Amino acid sequence: MNRKLWLNLFGLAVFVLIPDIARGIDEPFLVNLFTRFAIYAIAAVSLDLILGYGAMVSFGHAAFFGLGGYVVGVVGFHTADGSGILGWQGTGQALILWPLAIAICAVAGLVIGFLSLRTAGVQFIMITLAFGQMFYFILVGLMYYGGDDGLAIDARNTLPGIDLRNPVVYYYLCVALLFAWVLTCRRIVGSRFGMALRSLKQNRRRSVALGLAPLRYQLLAFTVSAAGTGLAGVLWANYALFVSPDMTSWQKSGELMAMVILGGLGSIFGPVIGASAFIGLEQVLTGWTEHWMLVMGPVLVLIVLFGRRGLYGLVVPARDHD
Amino acid sequence: MTETPRLEVRGLVKSFGALRVTDDVSLTVRAGEVHALIGPNGAGKSTLIAQVSGELLPDFGEILVDGRPITAMPAHRRAAAGLARSFQISQVFPEFDVEDNVAMAVQARSPGGLDIWRSARRDPRLRGPAREAVARVGLGERAGVRVSELAHGEKRQLELAMALALDTSILLLDEPMAGMSAEESRRMAGLLAELKRDYAILLVEHDMDVVFALADRITVLVYGRVIFTGTPEAVRASAEVRSAYLGGH
Repeated sequence: MNRKLWLNLFGLAVFVLIPDIARGIDEPFLVNLFTRFAIYAIAAVSLDLILGYGAMVSFGHAAFFGLGGYVVGVVGFHTADGSGILGWQGTGQALILWPLAIAICAVAGLVIGFLSLRTAGVQFIMITLAFGQMFYFILVGLMYYGGDDGLAIDARNTLPGIDLRNPVVYYYLCVALLFAWVLTCRRIVGSRFGMALRSLKQNRRRSVALGLAPLRYQLLAFTVSAAGTGLAGVLWANYALFVSPDMTSWQKSGELMAMVILGGLGSIFGPVIGASAFIGLEQVLTGWTEHWMLVMGPVLVLIVLFGRRGLYGLVVPARDHD
Repeated sequence: MTETPRLEVRGLVKSFGALRVTDDVSLTVRAGEVHALIGPNGAGKSTLIAQVSGELLPDFGEILVDGRPITAMPAHRRAAAGLARSFQISQVFPEFDVEDNVAMAVQARSPGGLDIWRSARRDPRLRGPAREAVARVGLGERAGVRVSELAHGEKRQLELAMALALDTSILLLDEPMAGMSAEESRRMAGLLAELKRDYAILLVEHDMDVVFALADRITVLVYGRVIFTGTPEAVRASAEVRSAYLGGH
């Protein structure tokens, strides 16, 4: 058995056992922390699909994180006060609301991707950043939904037969979704579509000469990535019971990128470690100083300089990286 | 008698600013023929290949495959129209292994490119033809090696394997032997002689021994203009070619 498999099994075991460990050492707070790991890991894995496998540097991905969250927030708001939304009375059912939110994010991804993918390189970074900022300022301007202050959510969405109000249950739901999403993304990057995406990243000129039309592959990847990031936003809104424009800020987009790079670009598993390490470190450092970025910044620089394949690359040999 | 050529270039013109890099170039490549394109550095050989493969749009003129114009067809559709190419500087996928690279060529010509679920690496419809093409160019033993670890000559062989795997009828080979050792060139020349039966080949090559041994016809390009087209014997005999290019060889 190889190191990659061991590392992945170890990671899975930690995620599965953490509620028991938390109870054992009497630190119930750990469950909350790991819920955040899992949610951000879903977003980071989604971003890795386009950043690591497609070399599309989206600097506006937080827009989808926020959009997913705001669908939950806004529908919850109108459902709670009985006003309904666009003639629909609204729902608290996760099985209806969550797929709806993910679909909205996918459509947004399709549109933004279609417009952004007319460019490449630095222009692509700038245009995705611009779209992200557009979302941010729209949300800030929506005073009805709290504007700058954000929007509190009355209660978690409901699933039949499962009590999501219980933090441990909610944690396991997030972990199960992360697990399913990681497996899905692994399949995607090994499929014909995934191989075409990776070919375009490695050598666009050769790919085109072989007959691959870049836009359709890149656009589908961008859309899937937006949908996955939207799911993370949905889970975050339900976890925090609060959404705010900060979810779509450019700093948030930067954090997502940092998680992917810290964990290991183009590995799917790596960003799970990256997201956990980033948030874990943030948690520890903010306990010491509010200027935690002063420490986090150099750590990121060192990882990028000396561990080109991120934390994942420290354990897993190069040939198994992808 | 007037068999339609596989590939025809008619009155092609391309200028970069005031510089005419392709100046009224016409040539044909017939089935089962190697048509060599020779000329000094800067004669516009690669620019011509770029126009035929669709990376550059000509200013004037026409490009036809089996009599059908493809002049403005986007590059990514030309493989389906019957054109495969190799690059002067190897253009491969360095993070993939040899067989993956060739399997991408097989995949590009097959339907189902947007299949996002089933594993491409375990698909015998991709791996089978890829393995064949890899073996044909003599890389069979290196099929599982990451391309970034290949020697230069092996990358040239891989270039050819990818072109073969596209299963087209026309090959555009831009200096397939560039930078190869004598032994590797000899093997590549043998392979090209074999391929000639099944393909129409437009070959850009600097190695004159190879050109004269392989080519059925030769077009000599100087400053973007065709100064001579004919059999190797006629080219050798032409005083014009000698003075412009061969320099008394």
